[in-house]
Amino acid sequence: MTTDATGVAPAQPQNGAQARTDPGAVLADIAGMLRELLEEYGLDEAEIGRETTFHDDLELESIDLVSLSGSLREHYGDRVNFAEFVADLELDEIIALTVGQLVDFVVESLRATEAG
Amino acid sequence: MTSFLFVVPPLVGHTNPLLGVAGELARRGHRVAWAGYGDQIRSLAGEDAEVYETQMPDAELRRPPKLTGPAAFRFLWEDFFAPLAGLMAPGVEAAVQEYGPDVVVADQHAVAGALVAERHGIPYVTSVTTSAELTDPLSSMPKVEAWLRGIFASLREQFGDSRHTGDPRFSPHGIIAFTGRALLGDAPLPWDGVHLVGPAIAPRAPRCDFPYGELDPERRKVLVTLGTANLDAGERFLKEAVAALEELRGTVQGIVVDPGGLLGEERKLPGPGLLLREFVPQLELLPHLDAVVCHGGHNTVCESLWHGVPLVLAPIRDDQPIVSGQVVDAGAGVRVRFNRVDAARLAAAVSSVLDPASGHRAAAEEIGRSFREAGGARAAADHLGRIAARPANYQAAG
Repeated sequence: MTTDATGVAPAQPQNGAQARTDPGAVLADIAGMLRELLEEYGLDEAEIGRETTFHDDLELESIDLVSLSGSLREHYGDRVNFAEFVADLELDEIIALTVGQLVDFVVESLRATEAG
Repeated sequence: MTSFLFVVPPLVGHTNPLLGVAGELARRGHRVAWAGYGDQIRSLAGEDAEVYETQMPDAELRRPPKLTGPAAFRFLWEDFFAPLAGLMAPGVEAAVQEYGPDVVVADQHAVAGALVAERHGIPYVTSVTTSAELTDPLSSMPKVEAWLRGIFASLREQFGDSRHTGDPRFSPHGIIAFTGRALLGDAPLPWDGVHLVGPAIAPRAPRCDFPYGELDPERRKVLVTLGTANLDAGERFLKEAVAALEELRGTVQGIVVDPGGLLGEERKLPGPGLLLREFVPQLELLPHLDAVVCHGGHNTVCESLWHGVPLVLAPIRDDQPIVSGQVVDAGAGVRVRFNRVDAARLAAAVSSVLDPASGHRAAAEEIGRSFREAGGARAAADHLGRIAARPANYQAAG
């Protein structure tokens, strides 16, 4: 069975406890996951920044968000709960969602587990 | 004899599955009238269909073609289905008073049907013409679900019975869904009283001709269509599809439907052997086809699978990504990205579903068999008969 999204290799697995937590590194890691998701279309690194929107810019579909959720889990383990992040969004926020917002959520989650 | 009132939005894909049900009910001696957009209903159901006209949105109301994903969802409810309910409600109200139906059959997205029936205490049955919402895709987004429920609450205050709180897209009296387990998978559905009757494929009079003599018996036939509701969004995709079919032309004959005239005239296309048509009689054509490339609309998907034809799916918006995912999960198709796929990738996808070794054809045939067994219009008529005969079902449903 061939699909466009499930054949994508997960982001380089890391030990969740040792994932990089500074915002710049998290942005780079998430941009890497998104690039892997979209690599078949030749999006290069310059096109993914904090202001990049998931829907207008990257044209991600719900199936991609499922894949991204899997990549985040591979990378951060249980420390980042993507489902919780999505569940807390209003429709207007989902429409305008940026990579930077996800980065902030990840950084916050990682710091919270460090502090705990 | 039972009197049924079918309430439908001005959308062909929502009306088509009910045509066979209306015919079946009439054969059984029941009476069927429609409420909605008269010209469209009569063009589909026949000139002698009994129609109660309701107001309709301005024909100018169009979604920006580029609007997709959650933004398209917001537009669909805020700017189309909710105002549609407001426009249709007075006409549905008048139909209920004049015609006095025993049962209302309300399309899932013509919310006025459910709410007006509720106000009058008439049992109503939901007609569901897509598999997407049966799986409750909003369950992971509670704030979006709350937003939608807010829209329903405000409509209910205007046209419904505010003592009720249920979701008007899913009637407590029964839900008839023109889809099947082959697409939905085995997981329990989040709604009670869902009757999965499979697609209701009624023979419909071909509304256009087709040059069957030009079909090439030596090549596989592949239809490219983006359905009836996406006329303005497909230019880039159709051009890539034409290029992909040119690439495969040694073994594949392409048939491209271009109702919006996006590709210009056929003689300007590169190369011979490709049929470009403004419209095609899709149901009559399907037995001749080896694959269908489409947007993942539920009706085109089900009609193709019914005929055992595998799919290349390029979903644009709304329920299409979900339906496409269901087809891929069932092994009967390959998915590509509508906005990004190029000719080479599309050609590879078409080749893949045409390859017997990929199993797509076999999976499509298996789904087709399961759809036939589900009973379609006859099963729908059986359920409607039972629901109509149920005593005091309105009170029982609370």
